[in-house]
Amino acid sequence: MERADIDLRNATYQRFVELGRAPTAAEVGATIGVGEDGVRAGWRRLHDAHALVLDDAGDIRMANPFAARPTDFRVEAGRRTWYANCAWDAFGIGAALHADSRFETHCPDCQDRIEISVHDGRPDDASPVFHVLVPAARWWSDIGFT
Amino acid sequence: MLLFRSEAHVDRWLAGREPGATIPITKLAELAAAWWHDRLSPDWQPRSREQSQAILDRLGLTGDFWRLG
Repeated sequence: MERADIDLRNATYQRFVELGRAPTAAEVGATIGVGEDGVRAGWRRLHDAHALVLDDAGDIRMANPFAARPTDFRVEAGRRTWYANCAWDAFGIGAALHADSRFETHCPDCQDRIEISVHDGRPDDASPVFHVLVPAARWWSDIGFT
Repeated sequence: MLLFRSEAHVDRWLAGREPGATIPITKLAELAAAWWHDRLSPDWQPRSREQSQAILDRLGLTGDFWRLG
């Protein structure tokens, strides 16, 4: 991966953290002094390299573990909130920020709310379980479903 | 990649479908820390499939189900 694409990727993540939502191409471009077309071309290369995920319009859909769209995994850390793509990513936001975090979701079976606080990387409730339906070999073939 | 109240809830939700893999939430927390800890580092570098596989292996997530494509 070219250095310029890594810098674009890092700026995209940085803006995602700062804004609490996915940045636009213009917002990232303003940070690194690149035009919107250049940002979009770089995002496409990063998408192809599985470094982030674009939607059909070419905007950010996922900068894993961060999700651009609202999900059932709302994560709070340092008085800010983001959406995560899945339970793995919900833990991942705190791990990426190196911060304690808290998230809530719902059991897909009974719809009960599950609230987890994470301190020093450990969940305060060890009773829930994590289920992955799709084998690892197919995680990227439909990243949205996975 | 969902959280359930317990394994019994997973079984009921599957309703006879082929199950995937179920792991404790504590193992998930370990996995997330190992997988995502460098995601915001300015020194971030793309990880190879072999490096990602090594993370899974180190946490005991082995076997065909956990073999990356």
